Amino acid sequence: MKTAGLSLDQAPPIGVPFAFFLVAPLFAALAGGLLLWQGEAVLVSRWTPVALAVTHLLALGFLTQIMCGALLQMLPVLAGSPVPRVVAIGRATQMLLILGTLSLSAGFRWGGVIWLTTGAGALGLGLTILIVAVGMALWRAQGVRQTVIAMRLALAALTVTALLGLMLVAVLAGGSSLSGFAGWVDLHLGWGLLGWAGILIMGVGYQVVPMFHVTPSYPSWLMRWAAPLAAIGLLAATVLTATGRTDLAIRGMGLSAIIFVVFAAATLDRQHRRERPRLDVTLLYWRSAMLAAMLAALVWLTGGRAELTGVLLLVGVGVGLPSGMLFKIMPFLSWFHLQHRQVAMRRFSVRLPHMQSFIPETQARIQFGVYLVALGLLAAAAAWPGIGLTRPGGLALILASLLQSWLLLQCWSGFRRFRLNLD
Amino acid sequence: MVPVLDVRRLEPPEPLERILDALADLPAGEPLCVLHRREPFPLYDLLKRMGYDWRTQGQDDRFEILIWPREAPPSRRESDEGQPD
Repeated sequence: MKTAGLSLDQAPPIGVPFAFFLVAPLFAALAGGLLLWQGEAVLVSRWTPVALAVTHLLALGFLTQIMCGALLQMLPVLAGSPVPRVVAIGRATQMLLILGTLSLSAGFRWGGVIWLTTGAGALGLGLTILIVAVGMALWRAQGVRQTVIAMRLALAALTVTALLGLMLVAVLAGGSSLSGFAGWVDLHLGWGLLGWAGILIMGVGYQVVPMFHVTPSYPSWLMRWAAPLAAIGLLAATVLTATGRTDLAIRGMGLSAIIFVVFAAATLDRQHRRERPRLDVTLLYWRSAMLAAMLAALVWLTGGRAELTGVLLLVGVGVGLPSGMLFKIMPFLSWFHLQHRQVAMRRFSVRLPHMQSFIPETQARIQFGVYLVALGLLAAAAAWPGIGLTRPGGLALILASLLQSWLLLQCWSGFRRFRLNLD
Repeated sequence: MVPVLDVRRLEPPEPLERILDALADLPAGEPLCVLHRREPFPLYDLLKRMGYDWRTQGQDDRFEILIWPREAPPSRRESDEGQPD
């Protein structure tokens, strides 16, 4: 990323991405609350109502919420193309995402067609607003080619995930039957985790890994082929599922999963070869997330418990990676906006805080430690159900999320304090 | 002797932070030489607004940027002495 392209004229107001980033940890805490409350019942099977509720609280409330905020922030920077009416789009998307996630999760947990359909309706509307607005910006995008392609594919994957989700809710709420229902659920999961999350992580990773950790670039063959191949694998799985060949559909998703493992291995290799040997909390999170992704693929390919694959992907990657990125992105944006404010006000006599001072590294590492305990306990609870580790895992997830909230709020209040000094 | 600040191995935005700190700490009128791994375009914009001039030499992943207050340009001899090897 050329920071020369970072222009405050194009970047959205800091409140837009921060609103998404500050609310997201509360959903992870809520998921932890359900795990603590329901205990062993959650991870007995991926099909239990409460497991579905926890999955959507994490996938939509935490992961998608952060990804939406990051997309609105990063499009102007990485792709050189601002999102039109970004404040209104951000607010509407977030409000509907919050309402939809809570309603859908309540519908899964307690049943009730009204909750499920309200949730699906709100999510459908919120994601449509986001997809149209971001799609318009991506249509005009000029930035780094591979990243723009990955962002377009990720947005297409979000569209497919949402459409499949709406179809599944219609089946559940309408009481009708769908042949190969489990296969369609797997497809929804595949497009969501490997497509929407996986491909976006790759596209953004190509830029932020070399930039923030001063590593060599990713190999050009990987940047050119990884995202399109992952999408092709998911597309093949969709065609096979639609034609009733669900047994073969799994191979299409296998291709996407292997691509992501290659990306994970390349990321660990880049980070190992970074110029500066300092190990910060973002790097620790990247490492644990890439290892969790590889372990998830291994469990899946060797026919291990689907619940363990789910925990590794959702908590290991879906909670871990965005958490690590937030500890870098929020201080960076705070510093960046203050820097530009200083120039605009010509207040060069004011010394600005360094980026690292917005979130103290020691406290962030403690948060990472609590998160690792949560991941370990929940992975063990999913691997060996009935040994009583779900509740401690849920409690650790609550603690990690609340600690994260507190650190992110510290960053936000630090920004506001210094901004006042510049006025 | 012009002080030299090497920011080649630092992660963004540390190079910019260190350069601004160093400029603030310099005795009035003194120049500063910065070693950078790329051309720091965002820095140029700031320097212009803050009343500094600069001269950049280098290529690939090694750039030397000599920065001085606009009202106190370095003499030819001084800037040559300041070029690190």
